[in-house]
Amino acid sequence: MSQTQPPAVEARDLVKRYGATLAVGGVSFSVESGEIFGFLGANGAGKTTTLRMLCGLVTPSAGRAMVCGYDVVTQAMEAKAALGYLDEEPFVHPFLTGREFLDYIADLYRMPRGSERRERMEKLLGAFELADRHGELIGTYSHGMKQKIGLASLLIREPRVLLLDEPTNGLDPRSARLVKDVLEELAARGVAILLSTHILEVAEALCRRIAIMDRGRIVATGSMEQLRAAAGTAQASLEDLFLRLTGGPESKDLVDRLLDRPRP
Amino acid sequence: MTPVAGVILRAEMRAWRNRLLKAEPLRLAALVVLLLLGGMLFGGGALGAGIGLSAFVPAARGPALEGSFVGLGVLMLLFGFPTVISSYFAGRDLMQLVIAPIARSDIFVARTTTAISANLLVAGVLLAFVAGVGIGSRTGPVYYALALAMVAVQLVAVTAFQLLLMAAILRFVPARLARDVSVALVGVGGALVYLAWNLSVRQTLVPGHRPDPSKLISAVRGFEWVPTAWPGHTMGAVLAGDVGGTLGWTALTTVAALALAGAGALLYERTLLAGLGLLGGPSAGWRRTRRVERGPRGGISSPALAIAWKDFLSYRRDLKRISRVLPALIFLVAYTFVLARPTSGIDPFWNDVMIVTFASTLAALAIATPAIPSERRAYQLLRMAPITEGQVMAAKVLPILPLCLLPMAIAVALATTGRVGLAGTLGLSGLALWLAVGATAIGVSGGAIDPRFESTDDRRAVGVAGSLAAALGLIGFAICSVGAFALFRLGSDSLRGVVEFSFLPATPGTSLAATVIAVCLTAGAAAIVIGLFVVGRNRLRAVEGSIGSV
Repeated sequence: MSQTQPPAVEARDLVKRYGATLAVGGVSFSVESGEIFGFLGANGAGKTTTLRMLCGLVTPSAGRAMVCGYDVVTQAMEAKAALGYLDEEPFVHPFLTGREFLDYIADLYRMPRGSERRERMEKLLGAFELADRHGELIGTYSHGMKQKIGLASLLIREPRVLLLDEPTNGLDPRSARLVKDVLEELAARGVAILLSTHILEVAEALCRRIAIMDRGRIVATGSMEQLRAAAGTAQASLEDLFLRLTGGPESKDLVDRLLDRPRP
Repeated sequence: MTPVAGVILRAEMRAWRNRLLKAEPLRLAALVVLLLLGGMLFGGGALGAGIGLSAFVPAARGPALEGSFVGLGVLMLLFGFPTVISSYFAGRDLMQLVIAPIARSDIFVARTTTAISANLLVAGVLLAFVAGVGIGSRTGPVYYALALAMVAVQLVAVTAFQLLLMAAILRFVPARLARDVSVALVGVGGALVYLAWNLSVRQTLVPGHRPDPSKLISAVRGFEWVPTAWPGHTMGAVLAGDVGGTLGWTALTTVAALALAGAGALLYERTLLAGLGLLGGPSAGWRRTRRVERGPRGGISSPALAIAWKDFLSYRRDLKRISRVLPALIFLVAYTFVLARPTSGIDPFWNDVMIVTFASTLAALAIATPAIPSERRAYQLLRMAPITEGQVMAAKVLPILPLCLLPMAIAVALATTGRVGLAGTLGLSGLALWLAVGATAIGVSGGAIDPRFESTDDRRAVGVAGSLAAALGLIGFAICSVGAFALFRLGSDSLRGVVEFSFLPATPGTSLAATVIAVCLTAGAAAIVIGLFVVGRNRLRAVEGSIGSV
């Protein structure tokens, strides 16, 4: 009898409080291997905090975060070995070169040294157009280049789960396209990807399922069709769905108020 | 002051008021107490020194005034330089002023008032000393009025000189490096000036003899011509009742300060954009440094070695960190050489023991404590990697150990010149290694206990709790270690029948007792290291506050 595989990512009633402020209020969802799961929400909705709880950077006030069946808090080492997290502002070392940084990350995750690792590193640097930045320190990189080296540092070690916070933020169109293609290919190979983004086109094009967060809570989860059904409209775009589900004034109303135009 | 400069200043003051209002009351109270205590200690000390010197050594009044203006001028130059740089050339608010339709002269005037704030603290001490000399000389009110004016003139002159220095550095070094290069230069310069002063005091204060102030006076005579000594000449002329001299020196000092301020204002208008990094660097070579990159190293893949190697590379390349560490290392190495010549009556062996203890403690405080928080945002990489906090801390000890061992290696090398014999050298080497490892581990643990990952400056990267834990731990560790070392030696000597103290018989019983206590003290020293390491590891495991927000 074959055992059922646990979900690649599972959030069970995750709560995070900062004093009296409730940043995340009981979020539950799961991501299967090979799935790209979109995470949408306005600024301050709690997306980054949720992602940081899932990768162990922030300890949940309540609930459980599981990666490949490992509890992120109690089985931290196993969970960490399986996942890769890219922050909106990537964590990098300004005084290392791109190549040195990848080498450092590979050592941190105990990747065997040798020609295979070297080839992989060169391939990634080449793909992200960083190979000719030979000798340049990461501190001098632009935001987009930092984002690329951050992504390369995840891909070099091939984690089973990727948590990405705005991965295409600051990238040029060619690199953004490359990232999207890479994510689709990784998903096809069985990597679970949790993608937090503001760019609704990216979410719509890549994600099999989408969760919409608002004020620390998930207000809707499902495929585009399920979201449309939940919103009660058959032809709505993701942007319309997002605005409808997260509430707030209509944009025309906002523009009128902004420009002091008399409302009809 | 122009209306625009007034507007900028009011905004600055509002920002300061808001910062004070938002500060935790406890922190604010601690700051006030610290300021009051500092004022009483430094201001009161300077006032007392001025009164005493003037009353008891009247011949030294003139040189003392000149020396104080020069010495405290140098101190202003060193202490206030980072504030001057950040006021004139840093901050996003400054960017906003640059893009606004405001004359650069207005920006200069507004920023000058904030730039002098750090220098003002030193100027307060200078004023207290000069006033003290006046009180000791029972002089009239003209002296005090002129003292106030001369200290203000000195303040303007030094601030303008700092601005000129930064502008000169910007001619050769790109903006992104200029601040660190300036601080490094001033730090190293300061360390050398302090050492030179220390050596001159050492010549004056020979143990067992009366202090010889004439040596200090002759030292001052060597630099009485420098412009920073001119206000001292002015004050000396007032005390001597020399009206012509007073007027002449006052005019000369004021003209020099105004010339410096004018040159500073002119150069500021030309270098402001370069200083902000808006004009790029002076040479393209600086912008794209071709480094010889090593390919991936062979051998086993080890997180600890990877962290150590990364730290080594970062240390080598981070000018800011080098600028903080270099003066400390200069002090350590120079002190080792200076103190290696024991004064009469001190046993060379125990002198060397004192040097290695001092060196390990100072090195650990200066270099090891910021090891963990200096990771800054990138510490998140370590939190996400499958390695424990203990492994991270152990890895941090590795690259710092050679730096901490350097002055101790010098001390041991000096000891091998035949003063303490082979057995003494071996014992000293063992003690040096023990102290270096223990002190470095304590320093790293202190940083782990209270890390400030959000801090951009290593000197402020460890909170009060961490600094206190490291300092107390280092003192306890040093006392236990040196005590154990001494008792081991006493035990060994007693066994050989050598009498160390007349009140202690050199018997096997004494030897046994000394050895048992020494073992207990060694265990105590090890317990301090392990205890702080465990506390640091646990605190690091729970850390989320500051790192969560960066």
